[in-house]
Amino acid sequence: MKEYQAVIVENKEIANGICSVTFALPVATKVRAGQFGDIAVGGTHLLRRPIAICKVEENLVTFCYQVKGEGTQRLKEMKVGEETSVLMPLGNGFFVEETEKEVALVGGGVGIFPLISVLREYAGKKTINAYMGFRNKGAVCGLEEFEKADKFVGVTDDGSYGEKMNSVQAFAADLEKGYRPDVVLSCGPLPMLKALKKLVEEKNIPCYVSLEERMGCGIGACLVCVCDLSSGAKARVCKDGPVFNVTEVEL
Amino acid sequence: MANLSVNLCGVALKNPVIAASGTFGFGREFHELYDIGTLGGVSTKGLTNELRLGNPTPRIAESRGVILNAVGLQNPGVKHFIDYDLDWLKGTGTAVIANVAGKTLEDYQAICETLDGKVDMIELNISCPNVKSGGMAFGIKPETVEEVTRVAKSGLKKTPLMVKLSPNVESIATNALAAQSGGADCVSLINTLTGMAIDIERRKPIIANNTGGVSGAGVKPIAVRMVYEVAQAVKIPVVGMGGITRAEDAIEFLMAGATAVQVGTANFTDPYAMPKIIQGLDAWCDKHGVKNVSELTGTLTLNQR
Ligand SMILES: Cc1cc2nc3c(=O)[nH]c(=O)nc-3n(C[C@H](O)[C@H](O)[C@H](O)COP(=O)(O)OP(=O)(O)OC[C@H]3O[C@@H](n4cnc5c(N)ncnc54)[C@H](O)[C@@H]3O)c2cc1C
Ligand SMILES: Cc1cc2nc3c(=O)[nH]c(=O)nc-3n(C[C@H](O)[C@H](O)[C@H](O)COP(=O)(O)O)c2cc1C
Ligand code: FES
Repeated sequence: MKEYQAVIVENKEIANGICSVTFALPVATKVRAGQFGDIAVGGTHLLRRPIAICKVEENLVTFCYQVKGEGTQRLKEMKVGEETSVLMPLGNGFFVEETEKEVALVGGGVGIFPLISVLREYAGKKTINAYMGFRNKGAVCGLEEFEKADKFVGVTDDGSYGEKMNSVQAFAADLEKGYRPDVVLSCGPLPMLKALKKLVEEKNIPCYVSLEERMGCGIGACLVCVCDLSSGAKARVCKDGPVFNVTEVEL
Repeated sequence: MANLSVNLCGVALKNPVIAASGTFGFGREFHELYDIGTLGGVSTKGLTNELRLGNPTPRIAESRGVILNAVGLQNPGVKHFIDYDLDWLKGTGTAVIANVAGKTLEDYQAICETLDGKVDMIELNISCPNVKSGGMAFGIKPETVEEVTRVAKSGLKKTPLMVKLSPNVESIATNALAAQSGGADCVSLINTLTGMAIDIERRKPIIANNTGGVSGAGVKPIAVRMVYEVAQAVKIPVVGMGGITRAEDAIEFLMAGATAVQVGTANFTDPYAMPKIIQGLDAWCDKHGVKNVSELTGTLTLNQR
């Protein structure tokens, strides 16, 4: 974990309401898939915005973000050449065991972005099926990345691209046909993760999910971002997560 | 190089900049970024006799220039702190201030007895607005402020006592005087101001606890005014906080009468906020020919009206 003064080298809309920003860091960096950065947006905003690291090439780091409120709107308005502070890499990230050869990625909404970092790290080393859900055709993005998957299924909530279903349903359909991955990695809206938890617990498939929670410090000090573990204890999403074994976390 | 060291009721601080309770944990995470031994002190996350799980999430919201939080005193309990964190934190070389809270007078006495002689100072949190049993019941009326201070003090033979005051009261200066009468060695202020932020789509408060404590840059003028009022009223030292982001902010608090300051929310915006403030204090003193930062305390003069 380090704080970088990062310079924007590209900031563009890649789909309806979704942007991609690339920062140049002063030095090359290494991250694990599923880790995130905490981006200062300045102005009157005292809190940084946690965004998954989508792509790292040497000293260039790319984040993809949905424009939601004031902070991400400010990020969108930042120009090439502008500098801001990025704290990264944060969190534990996804980890695929040596013995896990077949990997399923199940993503929805902005949850597809941390899964792109998994594809970039493991494509060619593992057999990867990617099931990705988008709101509608206009929100579809990242296709050039999903080409790296051994199989890609894209679906939308309204059927304007791919079938009309969510990514858990798309994944379940393949399970019905006999598909059985060694591990499932997922990120997306809570209802989606809940449905996935039920499914993989029934089928007894190991599964890791990346969670979102509002954050203060982003580094594990303030206990603002906690989630409930099945053990009854609390865990910090920013430091102990954001990735948790789905059987160990309450959704 | 100015002399930044200050003496806070017998405790020597390397400089007047202390990490504010609840924003810094027990210091381990920030120590991954810089040597926290360079700080004047660290006030720990609020400790209770037993482990506490805190409030449901979301625990934080943002509003322009401020944040609201309702963590609800989640902490591993004082025994866990002593067994796992205390020696490490002392080893960094910073002054260790244990921030403590309780439900009953007995709780306050017990936790003070447990920590007596083990830490550099106790900060009595009688002003947490986010839990019914966070001591707030004691922090509102001067009579109970005095009573809880006296009981806590009775549990302390070696360690000085700092009482942290709530701004959500009728007169913070009266409460400061009450703490002084109860035997406080110094007071700190301000804790957070109670506020609310609403998600208009859901027509519900953003924070699960409904209300939260407001802190950060925007509260600074209120905090400075209160620190001034309290410093005028009491004889014991005052530790000021509320919105401090830069060295210039810290200097305002010192001039208003604070001997030392605490920095909270600014650590979220910039994790290096405190080392930068310490550096900035040094530079400001040099530039203004101030040899000892302690000379600044209480040097404010009011405009003639
Ligand atoms: C580990 C992690 C990774 C994330 N990765 C991505 C990503 O790759 N792409 C993407 O588009 N979004 C991602 N998010 C969600 C993103 O952080 C929020 O959408 C963003 O903070 C909203 O900020 P805002 O100022 O636009 O919204 P506002 O509602 O104005 O924000 C107000 C406050 O609430 C916080 N907040 C609001 N929504 C969320 C949320 N869903 N999660 C956490 N904090 C929130 C903000 O950070 C800010 O502090 C991620 C969240 C987490 C925790
Ligand atoms: C996330 C968070 C948690 C806090 N927890 C505590 C606590 O446990 N005990 C306490 O006395 N004050 C607590 N506070 C209050 C701060 O210590 C401080 O009084 C307040 O935030 C004002 O300073 P600031 O504006 O620099 O943040 C907390 C503040 C924040 C933001
Ligand atoms: S955001 Fe501070 S502990 Fe996670």
